[in-house]
Amino acid sequence: MMYLKLAWRNLWRNRRRTLITAGAIVFAVVAAIVLQSMNRGTYEVMIDRMVSFGTGYVQIQDYRYHDEASLDNAFYYDADLRDRVMAADSRILHLAPRIQTFMLAANESSTRGAMVFGMDLEKERQFNQIEQYLQEGRFFESGADEVVVAEGLAQRLQLSVGDTLALIGQGRFGMSASGLFLITGTIDHPVMEMNNTAVFMPLDAAQFLLSAEDQITALLINPSLARQTDAVAASLRSELDGTELVVYTWPELLPEILDLMEMDMAMPRLLAVILYIVIGFGFWGTVLTMTMERLREFGVLLSVGMKRGSLSMVILLETLFISIIGALSGMALSWTILKLIDPIHLTGNAAETVLDMGFDPVIPMSFAPDMFYTQALFVFLIAVVVFLFPLIKIHRLNVLEAARS
Amino acid sequence: MALVKTQNLTKVYNPDTVPVHALRGVDLEINRGEFTAIQGPSGSGKTTLLNMIGGLDYPTSGNVYINEVDISNMKDSERIAFRLKHIGFVFQHYNLIPVFTARENVSFIMLLQKRDKQDIDRRAEELLHSVGLGERMDARPSQLSGGQQQRVAVARALASEPSFILADEPTANLDSASAMNLLDIMEKMNREQGITFVFSTHDARVIERARRVITMVDGAVSEDETKEVEQHGT
Repeated sequence: MMYLKLAWRNLWRNRRRTLITAGAIVFAVVAAIVLQSMNRGTYEVMIDRMVSFGTGYVQIQDYRYHDEASLDNAFYYDADLRDRVMAADSRILHLAPRIQTFMLAANESSTRGAMVFGMDLEKERQFNQIEQYLQEGRFFESGADEVVVAEGLAQRLQLSVGDTLALIGQGRFGMSASGLFLITGTIDHPVMEMNNTAVFMPLDAAQFLLSAEDQITALLINPSLARQTDAVAASLRSELDGTELVVYTWPELLPEILDLMEMDMAMPRLLAVILYIVIGFGFWGTVLTMTMERLREFGVLLSVGMKRGSLSMVILLETLFISIIGALSGMALSWTILKLIDPIHLTGNAAETVLDMGFDPVIPMSFAPDMFYTQALFVFLIAVVVFLFPLIKIHRLNVLEAARS
Repeated sequence: MALVKTQNLTKVYNPDTVPVHALRGVDLEINRGEFTAIQGPSGSGKTTLLNMIGGLDYPTSGNVYINEVDISNMKDSERIAFRLKHIGFVFQHYNLIPVFTARENVSFIMLLQKRDKQDIDRRAEELLHSVGLGERMDARPSQLSGGQQQRVAVARALASEPSFILADEPTANLDSASAMNLLDIMEKMNREQGITFVFSTHDARVIERARRVITMVDGAVSEDETKEVEQHGT
């Protein structure tokens, strides 16, 4: 306790210097967090969309489907499997069965490639807000020969609500699959690629069209919390061990997004490292001055019987105090700034470009906790490195020379 | 049994370049309860001798015994522990911890000794009262005069209940009144409690009060006088 008191009071012997040093750390922490937050915020939205509309956090497939995405590699899905999956882990919140395949979508005179999704709308609602993106019309009824067409595809085929869409392709095991479907709605899908190709239809209608009754190509699974993904996947792998079903997590299904994100995050991370190196030298300068100007005092303390280890402890506490003040203030200030600017609304050409890519014209901020505590860890590491100087100095200190200094 | 004993104590600085013989075979004994001043001109070796007795420096040859324990060859960590237990220091520049109050400065030494909290508080108060600072216990060094700071330093030196107190030019930075006041306090402690004081000094006032005066010249004891002095009670 006495060491804590001594260290804390020593810190304020030169209030201005301490505040400047802590301020430099605050600046580094804020800059690092805000830069990363902007990048990560964008990716979090992208990932959230890809996961909620595309893969789910966890997905079950037939073991052959990942390498050959064919209806032949669909799997049987019934209430027993559903119950078995739900029972595998109490953290599983929702399931959504899907069947998807590539078909030709046609109007009277032209044909386009389309990705056909057979989905259970009730289940799908638990995963995403797809109905919010409905541009015109309504969603399909279960069991009906109705489809909702993505807006980009509808425009290419010059079709609208009330028109008939012809789907032509191949069903399971080479069966012919073709049918006419009423377009009940068009959708402005938030994922650009989907917006140009997707056709959504009831799961049972799609299974019938594709001669794949009770078959699905993917079972999407969402845990209660995103961070439970790996744990839930592990439970399912254990449960489904010995079957032909395999379990994937979203990073395994979307590795390219993670790679892209890593590449994009490299620059702000590099900037943060450079910033921390600069700040680290400033911090080091402060600790160096704090040490050198107190050598006499150190000599006296050693003379009267304070152990070198105890003296080092006091200096370590001083170093940590500065870094904790800087890191905590920096995190608090960053959080406040991010809250104030979140999201940044884009305007003009920038907004149009982002809209063309299928995203909202905003830069959302990330509030991922790891982004914050990583900075604290960085500052702590800098403090430890900076502390090496006084540590060495104290352990080599000649009591008499110090007392005379 | 001598409290402090040096045996053929020598100290040579820069032995490989330009040797400076700071101590040349000093044999000395200081007994419990003494009030001793070591005097001499600059460079005579009195401070070096004090550093040797205080376990702050290593002799080139010879031995230093405190309570019959040879500290000459102790390791650094052992010396620190030994100083904490056996030796109290009073410095010319007071050297109090500036961020601590008078009470905390005195308590700090006892905390280093890991003594009981209640015992520490009680003793710190007693000591500060005994040096006439009962009303200024919560003042920081910057709020105290030089004389008051040096009295806190004396209280701090006594806090660990050492075998003796080494005071290096304790009155050098004090005005006459403060110096006399400080000497009165130390003399009283010596007389009433039997606390041993060893001074290194140029100050005639200290030499006048000391009951034994050791004069150093060129690294050797040239004179060792024990006298009867008039008591200056407070």
